[in-house]
Amino acid sequence: MNLKNLFEGTTKADRILFIVLIFLSFSGIVFMKEVLPEGKTVRIEVNGHPVYLLPVEKDRVVSVDGPEGETVIEIKNHKVRITKSPCYNKLCIHQGWIESGAIVCLPNRVVITIGNHKENPPIPPFDKGGDGGIFDIDAVTG
Amino acid sequence: MGGFLISMQLQDKYRIALLSAYAIALHGFESLLPTPIPWLKLGLANIITLIALLLYGIRVAITITLIRVTLASLFTGTFLGPAFILSLGGGVTSTLSMWFVLSISPGLLSPIGLSLIGALFHNIAQLFLAYFLFIQRIEAILLISPVIIFIGTLTGTVNGVVSGILLKDLKKADKKIQNENKSE
Repeated sequence: MNLKNLFEGTTKADRILFIVLIFLSFSGIVFMKEVLPEGKTVRIEVNGHPVYLLPVEKDRVVSVDGPEGETVIEIKNHKVRITKSPCYNKLCIHQGWIESGAIVCLPNRVVITIGNHKENPPIPPFDKGGDGGIFDIDAVTG
Repeated sequence: MGGFLISMQLQDKYRIALLSAYAIALHGFESLLPTPIPWLKLGLANIITLIALLLYGIRVAITITLIRVTLASLFTGTFLGPAFILSLGGGVTSTLSMWFVLSISPGLLSPIGLSLIGALFHNIAQLFLAYFLFIQRIEAILLISPVIIFIGTLTGTVNGVVSGILLKDLKKADKKIQNENKSE
Protein backbone atom coordinates (compact mmCIF):
# COMPACT_ATOMS: atom_id res chain seq x y z
CA MET A 1 0.00 0.00 0.00
CA ASN A 2 1.54 3.30 -0.98
CA LEU A 3 1.14 6.64 0.67
CA LYS A 4 -1.48 7.87 -1.74
CA ASN A 5 -3.85 5.05 -0.86
CA LEU A 6 -3.72 6.06 2.79
CA PHE A 7 -5.20 9.45 2.08
CA GLU A 8 -7.65 8.25 -0.52
CA GLY A 9 -11.13 9.57 0.07
CA THR A 10 -10.10 12.73 1.84
CA THR A 11 -12.29 15.68 0.97
CA LYS A 12 -11.34 19.26 0.32
CA ALA A 13 -12.76 20.20 3.71
CA ASP A 14 -10.41 17.66 5.32
CA ARG A 15 -7.37 19.29 3.78
CA ILE A 16 -8.53 22.79 4.63
CA LEU A 17 -9.18 21.72 8.22
CA PHE A 18 -5.73 20.15 8.49
CA ILE A 19 -3.97 23.20 7.08
CA VAL A 20 -5.98 25.59 9.29
CA LEU A 21 -5.15 23.57 12.40
CA ILE A 22 -1.45 23.38 11.59
CA PHE A 23 -1.36 27.08 10.76
CA LEU A 24 -3.24 28.08 13.92
CA SER A 25 -1.12 26.00 16.21
CA PHE A 26 2.13 27.17 14.64
CA SER A 27 1.18 30.82 14.81
CA GLY A 28 -0.08 30.19 18.34
CA ILE A 29 3.30 28.82 19.37
CA VAL A 30 5.12 31.81 17.88
CA PHE A 31 2.59 34.29 19.31
CA MET A 32 2.76 32.87 22.83
CA LYS A 33 6.54 32.97 22.80
CA GLU A 34 6.46 36.64 21.81
CA VAL A 35 3.75 37.78 24.16
CA LEU A 36 4.31 35.93 27.37
CA PRO A 37 7.24 36.66 29.66
CA GLU A 38 9.66 33.81 29.94
CA GLY A 39 9.82 34.14 33.69
CA LYS A 40 13.52 34.83 33.68
CA THR A 41 15.12 36.05 36.85
CA VAL A 42 18.31 37.78 37.81
CA ARG A 43 20.15 36.13 40.65
CA ILE A 44 22.80 37.99 42.55
CA GLU A 45 25.22 36.06 44.70
CA VAL A 46 27.80 37.50 47.05
CA ASN A 47 30.47 35.24 48.49
CA GLY A 48 28.55 32.18 47.27
CA HIS A 49 25.34 33.17 48.98
CA PRO A 50 22.27 34.27 47.00
CA VAL A 51 21.29 37.76 48.04
CA TYR A 52 18.79 38.87 45.43
CA LEU A 53 16.42 37.08 43.08
CA LEU A 54 14.74 39.66 40.87
CA PRO A 55 12.43 39.50 37.85
CA VAL A 56 14.26 40.60 34.70
CA GLU A 57 11.18 42.52 33.50
CA LYS A 58 11.31 45.08 36.28
CA ASP A 59 13.82 47.89 35.90
CA ARG A 60 15.69 48.68 39.09
CA VAL A 61 19.09 49.43 40.58
CA VAL A 62 20.38 47.46 43.53
CA SER A 63 23.59 47.56 45.45
CA VAL A 64 25.26 44.75 47.33
CA ASP A 65 28.20 44.75 49.71
CA GLY A 66 31.06 42.40 48.96
CA PRO A 67 34.39 41.93 50.71
CA GLU A 68 35.91 44.86 48.77
CA GLY A 69 32.99 47.23 48.99
CA GLU A 70 29.79 48.22 47.23
CA THR A 71 28.80 46.82 43.83
CA VAL A 72 25.91 48.53 42.03
CA ILE A 73 23.83 46.47 39.60
CA GLU A 74 21.34 47.90 37.13
CA ILE A 75 18.46 45.98 35.54
CA LYS A 76 16.90 47.68 32.53
CA ASN A 77 14.99 46.48 29.44
CA HIS A 78 15.52 42.80 30.35
CA LYS A 79 19.28 43.42 30.51
CA VAL A 80 21.69 43.59 33.40
CA ARG A 81 24.99 45.36 33.98
CA ILE A 82 27.28 46.37 36.80
CA THR A 83 27.61 50.15 37.02
CA LYS A 84 29.86 50.51 40.03
CA SER A 85 32.40 48.15 41.46
CA PRO A 86 35.25 48.54 43.95
CA CYS A 87 37.49 46.05 42.11
CA TYR A 88 40.71 47.27 40.49
CA ASN A 89 40.43 46.01 36.90
CA LYS A 90 36.69 46.77 36.41
CA LEU A 91 36.27 43.78 34.09
CA CYS A 92 32.74 43.34 35.30
CA ILE A 93 31.81 46.89 34.30
CA HIS A 94 33.50 46.52 30.92
CA GLN A 95 31.40 43.45 30.20
CA GLY A 96 28.47 45.83 29.81
CA TRP A 97 24.86 44.76 29.35
CA ILE A 98 24.04 41.09 29.32
CA GLU A 99 20.75 39.48 28.28
CA SER A 100 21.65 35.98 29.32
CA GLY A 101 24.54 34.18 30.95
CA ALA A 102 26.47 35.72 33.80
CA ILE A 103 28.65 38.55 35.02
CA VAL A 104 31.28 37.55 37.53
CA CYS A 105 33.29 39.99 39.61
CA LEU A 106 35.93 37.85 41.26
CA PRO A 107 37.60 40.47 43.49
CA ASN A 108 34.33 41.47 45.09
CA ARG A 109 32.91 37.90 44.96
CA VAL A 110 29.77 39.01 43.10
CA VAL A 111 28.11 36.61 40.66
CA ILE A 112 25.11 37.70 38.62
CA THR A 113 23.24 35.14 36.52
CA ILE A 114 20.18 35.43 34.29
CA GLY A 115 18.07 32.32 33.93
CA ASN A 116 15.10 30.37 35.13
CA HIS A 117 15.99 30.13 38.78
CA LYS A 118 13.63 27.91 40.62
CA GLU A 119 14.41 28.60 44.27
CA ASN A 120 12.42 30.93 46.47
CA PRO A 121 13.64 34.52 46.48
CA PRO A 122 15.48 35.75 49.55
CA ILE A 123 13.27 37.87 51.76
CA PRO A 124 14.00 41.56 50.97
CA PRO A 125 14.31 43.07 54.49
CA PHE A 126 17.37 40.94 55.16
CA ASP A 127 18.92 41.04 51.74
CA LYS A 128 21.69 43.46 52.62
CA GLY A 129 22.96 41.55 55.57
CA GLY A 130 26.71 41.80 55.10
CA ASP A 131 28.31 39.05 53.12
CA GLY A 132 25.61 36.47 53.32
CA GLY A 133 22.12 37.92 53.40
CA ILE A 134 19.44 35.89 55.08
CA PHE A 135 21.22 32.66 54.44
CA ASP A 136 23.62 33.32 57.25
CA ILE A 137 20.98 34.19 59.77
CA ASP A 138 20.10 31.30 62.03
CA ALA A 139 16.48 31.05 62.85
CA VAL A 140 15.84 31.33 66.55
CA THR A 141 12.42 30.24 67.63
CA GLY A 142 10.89 29.85 70.99
CA MET B 1 -30.43 4.91 31.12
CA GLY B 2 -32.17 1.64 32.07
CA GLY B 3 -34.91 2.13 29.54
CA PHE B 4 -32.30 3.03 26.99
CA LEU B 5 -30.45 -0.22 27.59
CA ILE B 6 -33.61 -2.32 27.39
CA SER B 7 -34.80 -0.63 24.23
CA MET B 8 -31.44 -1.29 22.64
CA GLN B 9 -31.36 -4.09 20.20
CA LEU B 10 -29.49 -7.23 21.09
CA GLN B 11 -27.23 -6.64 18.12
CA ASP B 12 -26.31 -3.23 19.53
CA LYS B 13 -25.36 -4.81 22.83
CA TYR B 14 -22.95 -7.22 21.13
CA ARG B 15 -21.44 -4.39 19.13
CA ILE B 16 -21.05 -2.22 22.21
CA ALA B 17 -19.47 -5.06 24.17
CA LEU B 18 -17.03 -5.94 21.41
CA LEU B 19 -16.05 -2.38 20.52
CA SER B 20 -15.74 -1.40 24.19
CA ALA B 21 -13.35 -4.29 24.69
CA TYR B 22 -11.25 -3.07 21.75
CA ALA B 23 -11.34 0.49 23.03
CA ILE B 24 -10.31 -0.52 26.56
CA ALA B 25 -7.49 -2.65 25.16
CA LEU B 26 -6.18 0.27 23.08
CA HIS B 27 -6.60 2.71 25.97
CA GLY B 28 -4.69 0.37 28.28
CA PHE B 29 -2.01 -0.34 25.71
CA GLU B 30 -1.53 3.37 25.18
CA SER B 31 -1.06 4.04 28.88
CA LEU B 32 1.78 1.50 28.89
CA LEU B 33 3.68 3.20 26.07
CA PRO B 34 6.52 5.41 27.19
CA THR B 35 6.03 8.95 25.90
CA PRO B 36 8.66 11.65 25.59
CA ILE B 37 6.27 14.22 27.07
CA PRO B 38 3.81 13.25 29.82
CA TRP B 39 0.71 14.71 28.20
CA LEU B 40 1.45 13.36 24.74
CA LYS B 41 -1.08 10.67 23.97
CA LEU B 42 -1.94 8.97 20.72
CA GLY B 43 -5.66 8.73 21.42
CA LEU B 44 -5.87 5.30 19.82
CA ALA B 45 -9.23 4.61 21.46
CA ASN B 46 -10.64 7.40 19.30
CA ILE B 47 -10.27 5.03 16.32
CA ILE B 48 -12.89 2.75 17.89
CA THR B 49 -15.16 5.66 18.80
CA LEU B 50 -15.02 6.99 15.26
CA ILE B 51 -15.73 3.61 13.69
CA ALA B 52 -18.63 3.04 16.09
CA LEU B 53 -20.01 6.48 15.27
CA LEU B 54 -19.80 5.98 11.52
CA LEU B 55 -21.14 2.42 11.48
CA TYR B 56 -23.69 2.38 14.30
CA GLY B 57 -24.43 5.97 15.28
CA ILE B 58 -24.05 8.25 18.26
CA ARG B 59 -25.78 6.03 20.86
CA VAL B 60 -23.32 3.20 20.40
CA ALA B 61 -20.36 5.60 20.15
CA ILE B 62 -21.14 7.51 23.35
CA THR B 63 -21.91 4.31 25.28
CA ILE B 64 -18.56 2.86 24.24
CA THR B 65 -16.79 6.05 25.27
CA LEU B 66 -18.39 6.02 28.73
CA ILE B 67 -17.66 2.32 29.25
CA ARG B 68 -14.10 2.71 28.03
CA VAL B 69 -13.27 5.71 30.21
CA THR B 70 -14.84 4.18 33.33
CA LEU B 71 -13.41 0.68 33.00
CA ALA B 72 -9.96 1.75 31.82
CA SER B 73 -9.67 4.11 34.80
CA LEU B 74 -10.73 1.31 37.15
CA PHE B 75 -8.07 -0.97 35.67
CA THR B 76 -5.32 1.63 35.88
CA GLY B 77 -6.44 2.83 39.31
CA THR B 78 -7.26 6.41 38.36
CA PHE B 79 -11.04 6.20 38.81
CA LEU B 80 -12.51 9.57 39.89
CA GLY B 81 -9.00 11.07 39.96
CA PRO B 82 -7.80 14.02 37.85
CA ALA B 83 -6.79 11.77 34.95
CA PHE B 84 -10.27 10.22 34.95
CA ILE B 85 -12.03 13.60 34.88
CA LEU B 86 -9.83 14.80 32.02
CA SER B 87 -10.32 11.54 30.16
CA LEU B 88 -14.10 11.62 30.61
CA GLY B 89 -14.47 15.27 29.61
CA GLY B 90 -12.20 14.84 26.60
CA GLY B 91 -13.80 11.59 25.45
CA VAL B 92 -17.41 12.79 25.68
CA THR B 93 -16.71 16.18 24.09
CA SER B 94 -14.74 14.59 21.29
CA THR B 95 -17.46 12.04 20.52
CA LEU B 96 -20.22 14.66 20.59
CA SER B 97 -18.23 17.06 18.39
CA MET B 98 -17.64 14.39 15.74
CA TRP B 99 -21.32 13.47 15.85
CA PHE B 100 -22.34 17.11 15.57
CA VAL B 101 -20.20 17.71 12.48
CA LEU B 102 -21.33 14.42 10.96
CA SER B 103 -25.03 15.17 11.50
CA ILE B 104 -25.02 18.75 10.23
CA SER B 105 -23.20 17.88 7.03
CA PRO B 106 -22.63 14.19 6.35
CA GLY B 107 -20.00 13.65 3.71
CA LEU B 108 -18.28 16.97 4.27
CA LEU B 109 -15.42 15.35 6.14
CA SER B 110 -13.86 11.95 5.64
CA PRO B 111 -12.84 9.87 8.67
CA ILE B 112 -9.56 11.82 8.71
CA GLY B 113 -11.33 15.16 9.02
CA LEU B 114 -13.69 13.81 11.66
CA SER B 115 -10.74 12.44 13.59
CA LEU B 116 -9.13 15.90 13.45
CA ILE B 117 -12.33 17.46 14.83
CA GLY B 118 -12.43 14.85 17.57
CA ALA B 119 -8.79 15.40 18.51
CA LEU B 120 -9.23 19.19 18.53
CA PHE B 121 -12.28 19.15 20.80
CA HIS B 122 -10.75 16.48 22.99
CA ASN B 123 -7.82 18.80 23.62
CA ILE B 124 -9.94 21.93 24.03
CA ALA B 125 -12.13 20.18 26.62
CA GLN B 126 -9.11 18.90 28.49
CA LEU B 127 -7.43 22.31 28.52
CA PHE B 128 -10.62 23.89 29.87
CA LEU B 129 -10.98 21.24 32.54
CA ALA B 130 -7.31 21.48 33.46
CA TYR B 131 -7.67 25.23 33.82
CA PHE B 132 -10.85 25.25 35.88
CA LEU B 133 -10.08 22.28 38.07
CA PHE B 134 -6.35 21.94 38.46
CA ILE B 135 -3.97 24.54 37.12
CA GLN B 136 -5.73 27.91 37.19
CA ARG B 137 -2.81 29.68 35.60
CA ILE B 138 -4.05 31.07 32.34
CA GLU B 139 -0.59 31.85 30.99
CA ALA B 140 0.51 28.26 31.47
CA ILE B 141 -2.59 26.98 29.65
CA LEU B 142 -2.20 29.51 26.83
CA LEU B 143 1.46 28.63 26.42
CA ILE B 144 0.78 24.92 26.19
CA SER B 145 -2.44 25.08 24.07
CA PRO B 146 -0.91 25.55 20.61
CA VAL B 147 1.62 22.79 21.24
CA ILE B 148 -1.10 20.38 22.35
CA ILE B 149 -3.34 21.29 19.42
CA PHE B 150 -0.43 20.81 17.01
CA ILE B 151 0.37 17.34 18.38
CA GLY B 152 -3.36 16.56 18.40
CA THR B 153 -3.56 17.42 14.72
CA LEU B 154 -0.74 14.98 13.92
CA THR B 155 -2.09 12.11 16.03
CA GLY B 156 -5.62 12.89 14.82
CA THR B 157 -4.48 12.48 11.23
CA VAL B 158 -2.83 9.13 12.00
CA ASN B 159 -5.94 7.89 13.80
CA GLY B 160 -8.13 9.10 10.96
CA VAL B 161 -6.02 7.23 8.40
CA VAL B 162 -6.21 4.03 10.46
CA SER B 163 -9.98 4.46 10.93
CA GLY B 164 -10.41 4.97 7.19
CA ILE B 165 -8.53 1.77 6.36
CA LEU B 166 -10.43 -0.24 8.96
CA LEU B 167 -13.78 1.12 7.80
CA LYS B 168 -13.02 0.23 4.21
CA ASP B 169 -12.08 -3.32 5.18
CA LEU B 170 -15.11 -3.68 7.44
CA LYS B 171 -17.46 -2.53 4.69
CA LYS B 172 -15.82 -4.92 2.24
CA ALA B 173 -16.20 -7.79 4.69
CA ASP B 174 -19.80 -6.80 5.36
CA LYS B 175 -20.63 -6.82 1.65
CA LYS B 176 -19.03 -10.23 1.28
CA ILE B 177 -21.14 -11.64 4.13
CA GLN B 178 -24.30 -10.14 2.69
CA ASN B 179 -23.58 -11.59 -0.75
CA GLU B 180 -22.98 -15.01 0.76
CA ASN B 181 -26.25 -14.79 2.66
CA LYS B 182 -28.11 -13.87 -0.53
CA SER B 183 -26.66 -16.70 -2.55
CA GLU B 184 -27.63 -19.28 0.06
